[in-house]
Amino acid sequence: MTQAQLFITCLGDQFYTSTLQNMTRLLECLGVDLVFPPEQTCCGQPLFNNGFEDQTRAVTLNFMRAFAKSDAPIVGPSGSCVSMVKHHYPELFPAGTPEHSLATDIAARTFEFTEYIVNVLKITDLGAVYPHKVTYHASCHYLREMGLKTEAKTLLNAVKELEFVPLNEEETCCGFGGAFTVTYPEVSRAMMDNKVKRIIASGADTVVTCEPGCLMNIAGGLYKAGSNIHAMHIIDLLASKEGVA
Amino acid sequence: MTNPVIENIRRSLGRTDQTTLSLRPVIYESRHPESVDSETERFLDEVRKLSGIAQKLTPESVTAALKSLVAENNICKATLWHSPLFEQLGIDSTLRGLGVDLVSPTADKREMELCDLGITEADYLLPETGTLVLRSSAEKPRAVSLLPRIHLTIVRPEMLRADLHQVFAEAKDSHYLVFITGPSRTADIELTVTLGVHGPKNLYVWMLDQS
Amino acid sequence: MSDDTHTYIGFEEYSEHVPPSIPSAVQQATSRFVDGRAARVAELPQWEELRQIGSDIRLHTIENMDVYLTRFETAVQAAGGIAHWASTAEDARQIVLQIAKEHNVKLAVKSKSMATEEIGLNHALEAAGIEALETDLGEYIIQLAGTGPSHIIVPAVHLKKEEIAALFSKKLHIDAPADPIELARIAREILREKFLAAGMGISGANFLVAETGTLVIVTNEGNGRMCTTMPELHVAVVGIDKVIPDWESLTVFLKLLARSATGQKLSTYTQFITGPRQAEGEFGPKEFHIVLLDNGRSKILKDPIGRDVLKCIRCGACANVCPVYKNVGGFAYGSFISGPIGAILSPQMLGMPTARELPYASTLCGACADVCPVKIPIPTILRHLRRRVAQGDDFATPTMPALIHATAGLVSLALAQNWIYRLGTRLLPFFMRIFKRDGWIPSAPYPLSRWTKARPLPPFTASFRQWWNVRSTKGKE
Repeated sequence: MTQAQLFITCLGDQFYTSTLQNMTRLLECLGVDLVFPPEQTCCGQPLFNNGFEDQTRAVTLNFMRAFAKSDAPIVGPSGSCVSMVKHHYPELFPAGTPEHSLATDIAARTFEFTEYIVNVLKITDLGAVYPHKVTYHASCHYLREMGLKTEAKTLLNAVKELEFVPLNEEETCCGFGGAFTVTYPEVSRAMMDNKVKRIIASGADTVVTCEPGCLMNIAGGLYKAGSNIHAMHIIDLLASKEGVA
Repeated sequence: MTNPVIENIRRSLGRTDQTTLSLRPVIYESRHPESVDSETERFLDEVRKLSGIAQKLTPESVTAALKSLVAENNICKATLWHSPLFEQLGIDSTLRGLGVDLVSPTADKREMELCDLGITEADYLLPETGTLVLRSSAEKPRAVSLLPRIHLTIVRPEMLRADLHQVFAEAKDSHYLVFITGPSRTADIELTVTLGVHGPKNLYVWMLDQS
Repeated sequence: MSDDTHTYIGFEEYSEHVPPSIPSAVQQATSRFVDGRAARVAELPQWEELRQIGSDIRLHTIENMDVYLTRFETAVQAAGGIAHWASTAEDARQIVLQIAKEHNVKLAVKSKSMATEEIGLNHALEAAGIEALETDLGEYIIQLAGTGPSHIIVPAVHLKKEEIAALFSKKLHIDAPADPIELARIAREILREKFLAAGMGISGANFLVAETGTLVIVTNEGNGRMCTTMPELHVAVVGIDKVIPDWESLTVFLKLLARSATGQKLSTYTQFITGPRQAEGEFGPKEFHIVLLDNGRSKILKDPIGRDVLKCIRCGACANVCPVYKNVGGFAYGSFISGPIGAILSPQMLGMPTARELPYASTLCGACADVCPVKIPIPTILRHLRRRVAQGDDFATPTMPALIHATAGLVSLALAQNWIYRLGTRLLPFFMRIFKRDGWIPSAPYPLSRWTKARPLPPFTASFRQWWNVRSTKGKE
């Protein structure tokens, strides 16, 4: 029996309950027995990325303790959060310490959702149906830090009745950047506006992304621009059976 | 004896004047040349892509080509390198015959500035980028390829080299080298490409057929 | 470290007052360069290999910088050049002024050099009664305009041709038409005379070849050739980080530089200058000086992470792909060097009290690292410098405002003591309910207001944990 632990992320926890529910159901349908450690809070990325490395460690320890109770792999709906765990947790502790060993162990078994489905479970078709014109925003950390260049499109390819339209500047940052939206709000807004403009120009009625952070930013931007384009997390699209009786 | 900058560098790096140099990383292999004809074509093609005017000529047709160039461009004054090849081709006498004023290549810069045309050879040619490589000496003054608004260079296939490695191996001991890759250009004003900002506006490259 | 005092760089302030013409002008330039670069990279199957070798050579050189600089000095002196060492910007200015004075220089013509901008050389020369004229067309324009560069390669790209025509008309007392070709012709004519009359040519260098004491200077316009060929005196001011081991190494960098910068295979003119002229008739300077500039670079060498910035070959590719830079332009970085490289260089050269806002001028998207020809890990260095600002390190004490630091402490506490976070998660939806309008939270109290002024927040649904608990006890649906 495949087991996995749910890493819901702080943004998922606060804003995307239905996405987390869909993630749960999708994984269970694939035969994964899920565990949800309730002590989890946040991976610590917002503190780490802003230079507060000392303050990050306490948060990291909380995360690791929560997920160390089981040795099952950890799956999360965010490339940037998973990258934090995989690539930066071991850096936070001196080599040779028990914390460092724990971090290395946890890092090795933490996966982003699409990565887990396509590269670990080796599944590309989740039986989704989504009869819409869909475009894709490639989130920066998902793309560059995690190196996930094809997984999302592979999964979208298998969705029935989905018409894919490319997004001009698909890989350009949407301006979320975590705390960047509140550190330099005007620049963030300008970047968001550019992304929203291009999404509207793509002709799609849906834009899909693999990051809750980007999603918050883009969805809000589309709403502000008066657009009806639906912004969704890929998990919600993959859970869709729209039009099926 | 040393100086404060070097001292600071050594202190920062934790080195002394006795610390040895670690091995410099290996460089990749040079490009392999194709046939002379192919390399020649490639070279001339690249020059044309840069808005240079490139053509193959037999030595016999140089005089006629020079006549056209002078007429098309209203050449009144010209300067050229002292070169046995140019003597052979009779460049001097052709120009004089066309009424072009000849200015010595070692003339004062203000005199040379008035020239419309500067004629040089080249020491090496790089086909990949359409580059002319010119040394500098009293016989090959730098300003001839720089001051006049038109630069004509008469070259031969023997000057072709496969890649930078070969040129550098042969020429690195020169005290001056210039790579000329097309006419002078800028895009500083609204990204509009303008030729001939400070260097020559027109670059003519005549490749002499092997004979 | 530089002895000059610097104005605080208020990136946030600048970014809130970006003139509307800047982003579109900058984006036109950057998209052209990005497209050009992509075409050139596609032509070279060994591009990634070249990047790695370029990175390795630069790192090797940095780690052995004392040896290579010493070699360079010996070689350039053997070729008849005169080498000077400048620990600080003031040292460098004094050296150049001294040389100018000794030669009775009244007019100096300058080829584009970021090192001379770094040390404020033009001001120093003007103050000493010497006219210092920029000759690169873009630099000439912004010198007339009295502003800084908006882009590393095309510094005047933010100005429309009508503005440049007006500028020429006013400053040069002529009737200049709003036509780029005509304007370039006017500049050519005026600068011709200056090239011929100048007593001194000032340049930088793209590379210093230690093997033979050679300067490599790359330009497109020919002004670099004019400045180093016409005057009797040539003075080069070059950062010590420009040194490379030998000509073989140079082959790599010449393949990387123009392609990364503008999408050209090679820039129009590449000069290789070793000392002064050797014969009377060949043209070129009778006397050649090189000022090797430290100005904080040797201090940067101490930092094993930060010193990767010294690998930079000043191509500007990082700026061309940076979405932050493309929306604010060069001025917002408050220094002669902008974009991602500016965000990691200025804090290390000018210090954090001046530049603490710059490491945060990024979303860490990583597009810059993908295109850097020498593989500088810019996002890693940005985080490294953020750490210096937020909590200090071996090289500096923290400069983060106390309020932000305190907030980070509170956030850390709430996230580490998971009962606090979980309690907050249960309560927040209840409190935030009053802000809900039409399924969104369009405005919220500070600090969330910094988000909501640009776009609404989604509602705090936060009910997964309860759903999971119910499910676990009652069975799955």
